[in-house]
Amino acid sequence: MKTVYVCSDTVTGIFSGIYDAWKAGKREEDCEIALRGQLEQQLFCDYVEAEETEHKAAAVEALIMKHLGAKAYHDIYHAVLSSDPKKGDAVLGTMLAAKEIPDSTRIMEHLSHPKVEKVFELCRNVFGETHSYKGFLRFCELENGVLYARIEPKNQILTCLAPHFAARLPVENWMIHDVTHKTFAVHEAGKQWVIAFGGPADEEVFKRVSDREKEYVRLWRGFCKTIAIESRTNPRCQMQHLPLRYRREMAEFCNNSH
Amino acid sequence: MRIQEALSMYDKLNILTDAAKYDVACTSSGTSRKSDGTGIGSCEQSGICHSFSADGRCISLLKILFTNECIYDCKYCVNRRSNDVVRTSFSPDEVCELTMEFYRRNYIEGLFLSSGILKSPNYTMELIYAALYRLRREYNFQGYIHVKAIPGADPELIQKLGFLADRMSVNLELPTAESLKALAPNKTRKNILTPMRLVQNRMTENRQEIQLYRNAPRFVPAGQSTQMIIGATPETDYQIIQVAESLYQKFELKRVFYSAFVHVNDDAALPAKTGEGPPLLREHRLYQADWLLRYYHFRAEELLTEENPNFNVLFDPKCNWALKHLEEFPVEVNRADYKILLRVPGIGYKSAVRIVKARRLGSLDFTDLKKIGVVLKRALYFITCNGRMMYPTRMDEDYITRNLLYAGEKLPREVTEMGYRQLSLFEGGNGYCEDGICVQ
Ligand code: SF4
Repeated sequence: MKTVYVCSDTVTGIFSGIYDAWKAGKREEDCEIALRGQLEQQLFCDYVEAEETEHKAAAVEALIMKHLGAKAYHDIYHAVLSSDPKKGDAVLGTMLAAKEIPDSTRIMEHLSHPKVEKVFELCRNVFGETHSYKGFLRFCELENGVLYARIEPKNQILTCLAPHFAARLPVENWMIHDVTHKTFAVHEAGKQWVIAFGGPADEEVFKRVSDREKEYVRLWRGFCKTIAIESRTNPRCQMQHLPLRYRREMAEFCNNSH
Repeated sequence: MRIQEALSMYDKLNILTDAAKYDVACTSSGTSRKSDGTGIGSCEQSGICHSFSADGRCISLLKILFTNECIYDCKYCVNRRSNDVVRTSFSPDEVCELTMEFYRRNYIEGLFLSSGILKSPNYTMELIYAALYRLRREYNFQGYIHVKAIPGADPELIQKLGFLADRMSVNLELPTAESLKALAPNKTRKNILTPMRLVQNRMTENRQEIQLYRNAPRFVPAGQSTQMIIGATPETDYQIIQVAESLYQKFELKRVFYSAFVHVNDDAALPAKTGEGPPLLREHRLYQADWLLRYYHFRAEELLTEENPNFNVLFDPKCNWALKHLEEFPVEVNRADYKILLRVPGIGYKSAVRIVKARRLGSLDFTDLKKIGVVLKRALYFITCNGRMMYPTRMDEDYITRNLLYAGEKLPREVTEMGYRQLSLFEGGNGYCEDGICVQ
């Protein structure tokens, strides 16, 4: 009978589920990794709750690094941040498939294997969303000088975004608020960034912007409007590159104060 | 000439953005750098788009003129001396502050500073230098800077500037010396090529310096670019891509940009207004051809000839080439050389790499190609998998042309219904894209 390992939607959770399945010596068709709260109940399956520990997660990371290599780990890590409920299963399937080929470090080239293809696709998707937000994210300056950004990503991209902004704005205090996943990346000038969950209940704090903030938003809006060449107007093309879902939090498109 | 005192920052920015917008380049690619921890700013190799304006172009840099005053009178330019427009200039500090404050808010990747010519080329370059110097040394800005070198300025000045900028460009303006004479009477070809050569030579020296001393300062690390206006003068596409090819070969330019001529002035020397808007499709075809020159190992004279000097409205330059060279097709995907794969319509840069990797692990069929990202509805006329074509096909130009058009080649609808104006310059898919230019 097929065993379904149920785990939480975190890197630790998914890697722990994979650890249990791997330990049990399952074959691809005999096991599945599913996310708690996103289960499709199937008949004739055993459901096992994975016990989630950092130790298991570290062991799986080491296993992937050793047998599949750093490049594949990079792809897998990104895939695990995806919003797709089948991601854990795709990763496990890829690891199992790697056992079957002579050079397991080349597993990501086997795109004709459906699980490998899935990991590849998820990773591309997460990577793409991260790249989009590197450009489309907007900070506003709060009263206390902190730069604050709100994003609503589909995937859990904060750990991919934070290093980028830490390298770019090392002397600033900034905070990126992932509204979808209720998480924050917080950076204090000159220090390492950290991830915080939940966060302050008082959303009002984020609405109190500094005096000059409004002026810079106005300048920026003016710039974006003026830079377009009228005789080349092309809203379809603009839409293709900058879908509406990003615009909600972009100063040049939205009307709220931050 | 109108000079207005005490313009607000908002008005200044508006005027100096409006005057800068016809410059096409807005890329922030070509160099990668992390902040050293003391200031703000970093660069990503691939560049980052921060927004898209209503014309669908990427906004990556704060693209402004230092001043829109100008002693020259180029006929195609809004800022020319003889135009009656409000004139204004930034101060170096204003440029710095705008850049810093926009950058912190993640509005931009950096600054693109160009300028009209105030008093003299040297005088203007000094001002630009002062702005960049302050931005780099006092404000400690480590993001991307693209700066225009002004023809006729002292080599000394251009050199100093190059150590502060990531990219430098000197505009070629128009494809030939005659056209330049006709439309930009104060400029000469020689005046433009001299600083271009200077930057090239200095870059070569700098590469050696860096080999010797790893920490030597970098000179224009993201390379040199240029741009020319398309459609203001009678050159053919063939002439234009030959010019581009020689700029790549002889001046080692990183990019040549093409700017569809936009009517801003009424002048007898300019082509008459037609109501069709700027020649966007032509500009697009030139960008595609430019791609083929740089990344697909095509030469200008393969793409066009004296007898057939302009690109096809219906097909991109690669497809056009393939239709004229059917004797080279079909190619066997499982064996063909990488460079041959690149020449197949429907197979982009990335797909070709993936094919070469994947076929080492077993032979590929049409389903595999689809997964890899090959656009089969175009490629199917030009390839075989294990000796078989996807459908029986006659290797006949008319037949394939008709079928490609029938299969919904992307352009005809726009060409027939709306003219070039509404044309989307951005064909999606898996080809290699840069500033939205795709070749498959
Ligand atoms: S030099 Fe010519 S192109 Fe440049 S700003 Fe002056 S008039 Fe315009």
